[in-house]
Amino acid sequence: MPMAGLVLVAGFLLLALLGPVLTGDPSAQDYNATLAPPSGTHPLGTDDLGRDALARIAHGAQVSLQAGVLSTLLAMVVGIPIGLVAGFYRRWLDPVVMRLVDVTLAFPFLVFAVGLAAIIGPSLKGVVLALGFSQLPAVVRITRGEVLAIREMDYVAAAIADGASDRHILLRYVLPNCSSPLIVQATVAIPAAIIGESTLSFLGLGVQPPTPSWGVMLTTAQQYLDVAPWLAIWPGLMIALATLGFNLLGDGLRDVLDPRSGR
Amino acid sequence: MRPRLVLTLAVLPIALAACGGGGSSGTPVAPSVADATADNRAVKSGGTLNIALNADPDALDPSVSTTLVGREVFASMCEKLFDIDAQATLVPQLAAALPTVSDDGKEVTIKLRAGLKFNDGTAFDAEAVKKSLDRHRTWEKSARQADLAAVSKVSVVDPATVKLTLARAFTPLTAQLADRAGMIMSPKALETGGDNFGASPVCIGPFKFASRTSGSQIVLDKAPDYYDAAKVKLDKLVYKIIVDPNVRAANLKSGDVQVADQLATTTVKGVQADPNLTVVSGGGLGYYGLTINTGNANGSTEKPGPVNTPLAKSPQLREAFELALDRDQINKTVYNGLYEPDCFPLPADSPYRSPSLQCAKRDLAKAKQLVQASGVPTPIPVTMTTPNDATNQRLAQVIQQMTKEAGFNVTVQTAEFVSTLEQGKAGKFDTVLNGWSGRVDPDGNLSNLITSRGSNNYSGMSDPGIDDPIKEAAAATEPAKRAELYAKALQRAAEVRGVVYLYHNKYYLGMNKTVAGVQYFKDGLPRFVTAGFAG
Amino acid sequence: MVWFILRRAGSAVIVLFLASILIFLGIRALPGDPAVVMAGEEASPAVVEAIRHEFGLDKPLPAQYVDYVGQTLSGNLGRSTQDQLPVAGILAERLPVTLELSALALLVAIVVGVGAGIVAAVKRGRLPDYVATGFGLAGLSVPHFWLGLLSILLFAVTLRWLPASGYVPFTQDPGQNLQRMILPALVLGTGFAAILMRQTRSAMLGALSADYVRTARSKGLSETKVVGAHALRNSLTTVVTVLGLQLGALISGAVVTEQIFVIPGFGKLTVDAVLTRNYPVIQAVVLVTVIGYVLVNLLVDIAYAFLNPRIRLSGGRHD
Repeated sequence: MPMAGLVLVAGFLLLALLGPVLTGDPSAQDYNATLAPPSGTHPLGTDDLGRDALARIAHGAQVSLQAGVLSTLLAMVVGIPIGLVAGFYRRWLDPVVMRLVDVTLAFPFLVFAVGLAAIIGPSLKGVVLALGFSQLPAVVRITRGEVLAIREMDYVAAAIADGASDRHILLRYVLPNCSSPLIVQATVAIPAAIIGESTLSFLGLGVQPPTPSWGVMLTTAQQYLDVAPWLAIWPGLMIALATLGFNLLGDGLRDVLDPRSGR
Repeated sequence: MRPRLVLTLAVLPIALAACGGGGSSGTPVAPSVADATADNRAVKSGGTLNIALNADPDALDPSVSTTLVGREVFASMCEKLFDIDAQATLVPQLAAALPTVSDDGKEVTIKLRAGLKFNDGTAFDAEAVKKSLDRHRTWEKSARQADLAAVSKVSVVDPATVKLTLARAFTPLTAQLADRAGMIMSPKALETGGDNFGASPVCIGPFKFASRTSGSQIVLDKAPDYYDAAKVKLDKLVYKIIVDPNVRAANLKSGDVQVADQLATTTVKGVQADPNLTVVSGGGLGYYGLTINTGNANGSTEKPGPVNTPLAKSPQLREAFELALDRDQINKTVYNGLYEPDCFPLPADSPYRSPSLQCAKRDLAKAKQLVQASGVPTPIPVTMTTPNDATNQRLAQVIQQMTKEAGFNVTVQTAEFVSTLEQGKAGKFDTVLNGWSGRVDPDGNLSNLITSRGSNNYSGMSDPGIDDPIKEAAAATEPAKRAELYAKALQRAAEVRGVVYLYHNKYYLGMNKTVAGVQYFKDGLPRFVTAGFAG
Repeated sequence: MVWFILRRAGSAVIVLFLASILIFLGIRALPGDPAVVMAGEEASPAVVEAIRHEFGLDKPLPAQYVDYVGQTLSGNLGRSTQDQLPVAGILAERLPVTLELSALALLVAIVVGVGAGIVAAVKRGRLPDYVATGFGLAGLSVPHFWLGLLSILLFAVTLRWLPASGYVPFTQDPGQNLQRMILPALVLGTGFAAILMRQTRSAMLGALSADYVRTARSKGLSETKVVGAHALRNSLTTVVTVLGLQLGALISGAVVTEQIFVIPGFGKLTVDAVLTRNYPVIQAVVLVTVIGYVLVNLLVDIAYAFLNPRIRLSGGRHD
């Protein structure tokens, strides 16, 4: 199963990196060939402006990849230090951070995303920020939890006794030992972000036209469900496959890296 | 089914609400235009009519309301001093006759119909009219202040006569009184409701307000006190808010609603194809276009200032931009050919529209030449603010493609509808796609929109060649004279190009064939006074 | 136990307080002035000013906050800027719709998810396990809104078995109501069913190999009893935790589902309110959401502490 995941993820990466090179212009309009069914010239058909669905799928993969990876990176870069510090100085910093995490968790993600999109305008940047922020609590919690456990380890106690600086202990001993659950978290976060991007784009809060995104393509498709149902199939299928790939890979990684989770 | 969030806003009544377009190639069949006179089937008494509305109306208070859907509901429960007929001609409604105007145009006398009662049984008289007009005119929260700005005093001559004293001659006044500014509210309901009159409105109308479920439905019952109650056949109207155009059409097909307003151009064909359904069109009074910020530096009502974009600085580039657009193709690709391409804000069939007003066709060669002559290095960057619903995005992308060929690089900046409205007023945009629902009197499509410091003059145009004729026309009474003045102003506006007009939208009403007697005019408000189920 | 509940309740109050500030400031950070929105297409600056005054938007922020907290505590949620109707009444109309949708979705999720999870764990490594695991992965991978679109395409457009969308109040016509709620509930429930299935399966696997279950087996208890009485009871902890953690996701999911199926619920109200800058409504809906979240998590914590007494000593879950 993890192999299947690896294959799907690799396929997704290939599509995102090479697809745009191999396919045509995703924005080229042809008013004489709108909503055309799949054919030799357009293997996946065309949309309402006569644009090639295949080219848009390929370019859309890039948007999904960016949204997934960048938002996860953002959550990690911001969340790990917070989690490290909170877990390490648990007496005075920890309660504050954890209450803030609770508040963040209590906010419905979509309300936050809609608000953020309104503030900075719908864009990939907004999507990445909204998705990254929504992943933050999980990253902080996981890191903190690991730190709490690692802190009690003998080797850390020994390092403290040796008079090592906090900074040294955090970076040398604590951080490396947090990496496994965080890698697993990334394989959960990336597919969630891919779905998140398509949801936001679907709601009109994602990337700017004419940039193709799978969510935008689905928005368009929804208007033509009865005349061009195939338009709704491809982007959804791509989202599902990419997500499935990451989930399978994540399950596999979890078994290897994080056996405690019991899967 | 597509969640077009923007449309739930219900602020801009028009073309935004018309979603869809594009679609398969081939010439679409224009729906047969029908109105009440064309449908003379007998109607039986009784029944509940379910009507799908395209947006959630704002407060049902005639002084406050600003939405077209709100006016659709008012059309069944709040009559006005005057109304329009099928030809968009002004006719008396609560007034006994059209107003008499003094020679200097500053005194307007209105005779009222006798023996009328509000839907709560209160008697209708000149005092009630004065109370409502004064509320429209002077209440600080009233959105009608601008409509009645020319009126300086309302006086009761006798119980059946009111006199309006004007600060200046203002011919469009009768048209204003045929809209929300002419709706008369029950004085008793105003006493009890106060500022929250809209939560439980009472006027004179064939139906009276029964209940409202926020965001879901509005229910009206037949009004026993209505003066023409014998003509009213239906027992109940239920307005259901169904924002998504596909869902509106689906509900019509499934029979859950018998009438659906503002069909999207994408759904018109499907509704027409259904043997149980029919589509009627009332035409339209509004327009849609691309506003170019030419001088709105600090807000539309402030003094114009310099705007630092290539389009703002060069009238030649604006001309090139317009010449790059193919309006017929836009209509075909984005709206299934169901709207009317045009380059002026007044509908083609308006009696105030001079035949001298003609549009130029797409001329790519000339556009390129103008771009080259301007000396601005290509591609010339243009940012286009666009409401984030699918139809507007489609329009934006077509414009993007067409102007690219002439050397422009249009960046689409989608924003929620609310934001586009505010950015427009504040002047925080280069170009913005927006429209206007239209008014019966041409002044309503022009003075606030293209004259200096008008509240909706997003472009920030300020040109005496536009301002003066429009001002003069508002005081003129002779239609031919007014048409001539408007032609002058519009010619000048077409040179300034603060707004590149694209088309006039048309209203399409979908109905079950069992429904008869519905009146559907150019204002896009279905009237159900005589409607019912065919017997 | 009492001390534990009090402590948890105390932190819930702090979360609420912080959230109220966040809501308040967050809304005001949105570009787009509600007064401009209300005044609409024909607004003059004077009207905008009057509206701003009426809703207290012309006061300094701290004063607005004090007003807001004071009014909220006294039970006055204000009037919607959209239609002048009282916010409390709007909530009373919309909340039950979403509660019904969520309850049905949860029912689907628990029946399908927990059921499949148990079967998968008991039949580990055999066909039912693969089917259930496959379903779990698929359920996690398919976006809600796509599932919604496909189900409309299949059941409403192609087969014409069910209405595509719309809502009929339960009190008006229960049959019609359920007919229109089936698809949305299935769509919303699928994702949770997948999560529950995976969690139940792994919890059950853990429990089935634990010492006490082995002891029970060795005592000669039937497999049904072992699974039913011991393992399942322990798996409940997992289910309860997942429910608590996923509440936010359930609400987000409801937003999308209500948009697709045009259900006038709480989620749709939320999005509409944000988009129209309907401050009183946004404040109320977010507050209700946060209260709901905090309450559910408080209950989850308490339930968790009952189910697993060790937690009480360590002071909290998922730490």
